[in-house]
Amino acid sequence: MVKKERIDMPQLTYASIDQTVLNTLSAPKRYYWAIVAVLFLGVLVGAACWTYQIFVGIGVGGQNNPVAWGTYLINFVFWVGIAHSGTLISAILHLFRAGWRNPIARAAETMTVFAVCIAGLFPFIHLGRVWQVYYMIPYPNQRLLWPNFLSPLMFDVIAISTYLTVSSLFWYTGLLPDLAAIRDRSEGTRKKIFTFLSMGWTGAHEQWRHYTRGYLFFAALATPLVISVHSVVSWDFALGIVPGWHTTIFAPYFVAGAIHSGLAMVLTLMIPLRKIFKYENIITRDVLENVAKTIVFTGLIVGFAYATEFFIAWYSHNAVEIEQFRWRASGDYRWGFYFMVVCNTLIPLLFLFKKIRTTIATLFIISLIVNFGMWWERFVIIVGGVARGFAPYAWGLYAPTIIEYGIMLGSFCLFFFFFVLFAKHLPSVSMTEMKETLEHGGSHAG
Amino acid sequence: MPGKKYIMGLFKEEDQVVSTLTALKESAYQFQRVHSPIPSHKIMAALDLKKSRVGWFTLAGGILGLISGFALAVYCSIEWRLIVSGKPIISLIPFFIVGFEFTILFAVFGNIIGLLTQTRLPSSKTMAHYDPRCSGEHFGVLATCEPMQQDGLKDFFQQNGGEVKVFD
Repeated sequence: MVKKERIDMPQLTYASIDQTVLNTLSAPKRYYWAIVAVLFLGVLVGAACWTYQIFVGIGVGGQNNPVAWGTYLINFVFWVGIAHSGTLISAILHLFRAGWRNPIARAAETMTVFAVCIAGLFPFIHLGRVWQVYYMIPYPNQRLLWPNFLSPLMFDVIAISTYLTVSSLFWYTGLLPDLAAIRDRSEGTRKKIFTFLSMGWTGAHEQWRHYTRGYLFFAALATPLVISVHSVVSWDFALGIVPGWHTTIFAPYFVAGAIHSGLAMVLTLMIPLRKIFKYENIITRDVLENVAKTIVFTGLIVGFAYATEFFIAWYSHNAVEIEQFRWRASGDYRWGFYFMVVCNTLIPLLFLFKKIRTTIATLFIISLIVNFGMWWERFVIIVGGVARGFAPYAWGLYAPTIIEYGIMLGSFCLFFFFFVLFAKHLPSVSMTEMKETLEHGGSHAG
Repeated sequence: MPGKKYIMGLFKEEDQVVSTLTALKESAYQFQRVHSPIPSHKIMAALDLKKSRVGWFTLAGGILGLISGFALAVYCSIEWRLIVSGKPIISLIPFFIVGFEFTILFAVFGNIIGLLTQTRLPSSKTMAHYDPRCSGEHFGVLATCEPMQQDGLKDFFQQNGGEVKVFD
């Protein structure tokens, strides 16, 4: 066995890493399938609600005039946000050579792929007549119509589909050496499957020579992409003249918020994963502590953005903007506003205390609180803007219906359904990158 | 290579591989390749490898994507003209977003094409003369020799601290 000692992972060897990860792929017990079944039931509830909406019409949702954008768009932004920390961890921290990202990079990348898939469903759901989605595809159709690329909604189509494609390819490329490692330790049907999936990877020096270079380019391309994607999502709002939306800080504000919520979801997923799969020696407290420290940083950026919005409204002397933000803090949805400020900015500051950011229970609880707060942030922005527009006679309120709650439940169940299937069938920790951490303290150094 | 014997030395330490490679260069045996569970700077330096050409594929994809993105947006705006006041039909600033996204997308496609063509994957031929331990905790140095040199090559790997595997 190769013994490469590091201060924070002294007991790990190449063999122990392989063994720990391969143990997670052993035949699942009955309770695993029970969890899968429960999650699948939740997915069916969501699918049934969507089917009902398709048959009856978009009116079964709570959207109205003036609040035409409800939970479907809130969940779209929420899931795109969740998707962002995967790329932050796998690409941006790779470029910064942050070795602590290695134990959680695979699961975070996987989370990204699933979250983008689910985010991509919501515009389809919101569309109502989903069979007309092909209007957004540029092809010579019989009506001679072409998409309008001046529209931020078309930017979104391009950005989200690019992000899904790139993050899926990045994920699979990172997975390749591990698929080969599983192939080499499998028999029967599993060996055949992993032989096909690993495409003949053998870790020959010529393969690594090109692979490390290609991986570096992947990271370099994914980094500006991840920033552009949530900027584009923010322009869905900021390019409209709606009060509360029409602001230049939206792009950095949304990007920081996306990473904030994504990191919280990383903690939410990693903590049970670590416990169930006995990853304590791999996903150490130091790793979780570093995520918590990054959450403090992103939480402060988000808090600064909240304050800046109020300051600019006051400084502008624009009566409509001032009313929008007065109402945000004291109107019908004030609870949502308090949730977002307290959960996203104030509570994460508790991570400034070492005791709190190194205690697993508090890390997990605060991660859930941030997820909750970030959902409410999107509610406050999206619903609040259109509910309190320019003309007082056109003001209105919105509340989600049972159908929308059903679809939301379905989306969360679908995400966890995919993740639970992944965790038991593919390596949820990158064996190769963990070995690199032992050897060099870094990852796929290109 | 008919008649040649394929022999692999399996090592547990990166540094053993580097010293073996250095010694192998000065021997009568022919080096074939190194299999390793991780990418190793030390091994790559010992082999004096050139920089990969994958980046050129990435660059070509990126340039193609930039042109394609702009071209698509311009073409659509000309084919379906939305005339609003005196605003230009071809509006470069918003079209830059489409161009940017296509640049990234096509650069990644180029990167993938570069990776597949340069590593010659997918392939089943790569599995010849490969030991599965090389994806676990071993580094495998594969070399060839004439049949009469077989014992010498085995001794060479053993003297450098490796286990020996002889391929039929």
